[in-house]
Amino acid sequence: MYGRTGLVLLVVVAAIVWILPSYYTGLLTLIGLYALVTIGLNLFMGYAGQVSLGQAAFFGVGAYTSATFAVKANITPWLGMVLGAIVAALVAYALSFVALRLRENLLALATLALGIVINVVFNQWDFIGGTSGLKDIPGFTIGSFTFDQRAYAILAWALVAVGIWFAGNLVRSSFGRSLIAISAGELGAQALGVHSERLKRQTFVLSAVYAGAAGAIYASQASYIDPTSFSFLLSVNFVLMSVIGGLRSLWGAVIGATVVVALGQILQNVVPVVLPSARGDFQSFFLGVILIAMLILLPRGITSRLSEARRA
Amino acid sequence: MMASLWQYVLSGVVDGAIFALVAAGFVLIYQVTGLINFAQGEFAMIGAMTAAALATAGMPTLAAAGIAVLAAAVVGALCYLLAIRPARKSTGVTLIFITLGLDVALRGLALFVWGTNPLSLNAFSSGNAIALFGGALPPQAMWVLGSDVIVFAALYLFFRHTYAGTAVRAAVANPPIASTFGIPLRTFAFWSFVVAAAIGGLGGVMIAPITSATYDMGLTLGLAGFVAAVLGGLDSLPGALVGGFVLGIVEHVAGGLWSTGWEQGVGFLILVLVLVLRPQGLLGRATRRA
Amino acid sequence: MTAIPVATATLEVRSVTMRFGGVLAVDDVSFSARTGEVLGVMGPNGAGKTTLFNVISGVQRPTSGDVSLRGVRLTGRSVEDVASCGVTRTFQTPVMFWGLTVRESVEVALAAREFGGTYPPAPLRELAPCGLGSPGRRHAQAALRERADVLLAGAGIAAMADRATESLAFGEERLLELARALAVEPTVLLLDEPLSGLNPDEVDAVIASIRAARTDGVAVLLVEHAVGELLSVADRVVVLDHGRMIAEGLPAQVAADPVVIDAYIGDELE
Repeated sequence: MYGRTGLVLLVVVAAIVWILPSYYTGLLTLIGLYALVTIGLNLFMGYAGQVSLGQAAFFGVGAYTSATFAVKANITPWLGMVLGAIVAALVAYALSFVALRLRENLLALATLALGIVINVVFNQWDFIGGTSGLKDIPGFTIGSFTFDQRAYAILAWALVAVGIWFAGNLVRSSFGRSLIAISAGELGAQALGVHSERLKRQTFVLSAVYAGAAGAIYASQASYIDPTSFSFLLSVNFVLMSVIGGLRSLWGAVIGATVVVALGQILQNVVPVVLPSARGDFQSFFLGVILIAMLILLPRGITSRLSEARRA
Repeated sequence: MMASLWQYVLSGVVDGAIFALVAAGFVLIYQVTGLINFAQGEFAMIGAMTAAALATAGMPTLAAAGIAVLAAAVVGALCYLLAIRPARKSTGVTLIFITLGLDVALRGLALFVWGTNPLSLNAFSSGNAIALFGGALPPQAMWVLGSDVIVFAALYLFFRHTYAGTAVRAAVANPPIASTFGIPLRTFAFWSFVVAAAIGGLGGVMIAPITSATYDMGLTLGLAGFVAAVLGGLDSLPGALVGGFVLGIVEHVAGGLWSTGWEQGVGFLILVLVLVLRPQGLLGRATRRA
Repeated sequence: MTAIPVATATLEVRSVTMRFGGVLAVDDVSFSARTGEVLGVMGPNGAGKTTLFNVISGVQRPTSGDVSLRGVRLTGRSVEDVASCGVTRTFQTPVMFWGLTVRESVEVALAAREFGGTYPPAPLRELAPCGLGSPGRRHAQAALRERADVLLAGAGIAAMADRATESLAFGEERLLELARALAVEPTVLLLDEPLSGLNPDEVDAVIASIRAARTDGVAVLLVEHAVGELLSVADRVVVLDHGRMIAEGLPAQVAADPVVIDAYIGDELE
C-alpha cells in the first residue's frame, strides 16, 4: 500500500515538474527531502516513542559528507549520497550509546545538545569550510546530463517512494510492532524478551540514514551549504512537520513537510507586506505558535483527523 | 600563562553566576511540574531586551532593569496560562514540544518587537574594574554575584522556612496526598513559571551590560542554564548554583586555552558526560527515589 | 520445612538482600522453584514480594546474593536477557501495548524470541528483512499470526483478537498479559497478583491457565493477596514478612504455622 501510493506520488511529481515554474519545482524538491527526514523521524519518535531534537544535524552530516567528497576529491554525488547516509548512520550509531540510555526530558535535552555540538563542529572545522561553508558543490549527473531542478525533484521523490515503502513494511512487521510495544510499555516489552535498546538503536540509525541521504541531495541541489543551513531551528522544523502530520503516521510526514514548507513560503511573502519591520527568521514565531496550537488542539496530527473522517 | 588562566576563571565566574540564575528558574519549574522548560533561556532574553530597549529610550538603568524583570514575569505567566495549562493532561513528550514551541515563538516575537540589531545597556554602576589577585572583574560582576546571593537566599528561605514552601515540597514529594490536603498544585505550577521567568529575566538584565542584548541570545543562555542544572542534578537549587559556576569556569578556561568557538561545544560535552556517567548530577545522591 | 534436592531445582534464589537506603526490603532470602510446580509467595503488604520479583526478573539488582536458572547466573543481566533465558513476568498493574491489537501484542512476544541470537548482526536479522518485506519474512509473519491465534484460543480470549488494547477492561488486560507471557514459552513465570480485580469467571480462566502452564513444566511463582485462592492453587508456599522468609512448605503446613498466622493471616482475619 505504502509502496504503490509512493510510486503514484512519484509519477505525479514527475508529471507536474514539466508545467511547474522552476522556483516551485525547487520547493517540491525541498518538500521531498524534508519528508524523507520526517519519515525517519516519525519511526523514531512516533513509533518507538522517543524524542530527537537534533535531526537537522544528521541532515547536515549527510550534506557535508557528500559535498566535501565532491568538492575536495571530485567524487560523484551519487556515491556521495551513499557515503552521506553511511556517515550519518555511523554518527547516529556512536551517539546512540549516549542518547538511548535516556528517556523523554533528558533524551530531548541530549539530542538537542548533540545536534548543537555537531553544528559547532561544522563551524569550527576549517577543512569543511568553517563558518563560510562550502561553495560550488558539483551537481548530480547522468552521463553528460547535469541535473536541473526537475531532475532533482524526481530524484527526491523517488527516494521518498523508496523510503516510505521501506518504512511501511517496517511498521507493519514485528519490528514496527515491537517499537510500538516499547513506546507503550518499555519494561513490559523487555520482560517478554524484546531487546528495546537494540531496536531503538536500529531505528535511530535508520532515521539518520534517511536524513543523511536527503542532506546529500540538498547539498548538490543548493550547490552551497554553511552551518546555518542545519541549525537548531531546522530541527524544530522537523519536529513541527512530525507533529503537524501526526507522529505515528508515515503519510503524515509527507503532509507535514508540505504544510511547513508551504507555510514558510506564505509567511515569507505575506508578513513583510503587513509588517515591514519583519526581518530575519521571524517565521519562527508562527512556527512556534502553530506547534503549540497543534499540540493542544490536535495532538495526534492532521492525519488522525483524516482517518477519523474516513471511518465515520 | 597562569595570570591569563586566572583571568579566564574570573570571567567564568561572572558568566557562571548568570548561568546559575537561568538554571535556578529551570530547576524551580522542574521541581514543581516535572517539566523541562525549553523556553527558559527566552525569559532571560526578554529581560535583557526589555531593559536595553527601555534604557535606550532614556529610562534610568535601574528602573529599566526593574520593569524588565516584571516583563519577564508577565511573559512567564502568559506562557503558562496560554500554552502549558491547556495541555496539562498531555504526556511528557507533548509538553516538551510545547515548551520548544514557546522557545521559538518568543524568539520570533522578539524579532518583531526589537529587530535583529543588538541593543546595549550601561553597566549598573560606573567605576574601574576590580582587581583581584592579578585578575580583574568588571564592576557589573558585583551586581551579578549580588543578585545570585539574593535569589538563592530567598529561594532557600522560602522552601525551608515558610509554610507555602513546605507545602510545595510536600506536594512535589507526593502529589495525590498533597491534593487531599488541599494543596493547590496548579497554583504552584503557575507561580513556578512566574518566579522562574522573573529569575531568568534578572539573569538577562545582568548579562546585558556585559554581552549586549540580541533577540537570539536566549537559546545559548537557556542551554547553558540546562547544562548547569543537569550538572547540579536537575532538581537541586544548590546544585544549580554550583553547576552554573562550574560550567562558566570550564567554558571560559577551555575557550581561552583553545578557541572561543568551541566554548559551547565543551559545555555540551560536559552535559553529555554527566547525563551518561552521573545522571544524578555532581552533588546528587547516588540513589534516588524512583 | 521441606528440603529440595538441588538437582530438580530450576530457579535458585540464593541469599538475596535488597536494601534501599536504610530499609531492608528483602533480607537474606533463599529458596528454589522446581519445574512443573506453582510456588506461592505470600506475605503482608510491604513484605518484599514485588521487590523479590524485580530482583529475579532483572528490573533491580540485589544489594547482595544472586539468582540463577539451571545453574546460569541471572543476576546482573538486563530484563530482556533474563527473559531470553526463560524467566518472564507480569505486573501488578498490567502493562498494555496501546496502539496494537490484542493479537499483535501476542505477536510481539512471539517475535521477541525469533529476533534473538547474535548472528547475523541485528540490522541484517531484524531491520532489513522487515523493511524489505522479504518473502521469508512474510511467511514468518503469517506463522506468528497463526501461533498467536492458537495462544489466544488457549487463554480463552480468541474473541478479543482484533480488538484494540485501549478498549480492554481491566480483567481482559490481565488475561492478555498472561497470554503474552506464556507466548514466550517461559521456564519460569512470575505472576504478580494475577487475580486481583478479576470477576469470578476471569479468576477461573487465570487459574486454569496457571494449571496448564504447570502441566507443561513451567515453574510458576505466584504472588497473590487472595490467600484462599493462592493456597488452593499452590503446590508449595514461601512466606515473607518484613523482607525475611519466615516459612516454607506445603500450603496446609504453612496455613497452620503459628508464626505465619501471627505475622500475616492473623492480620488478614481481623
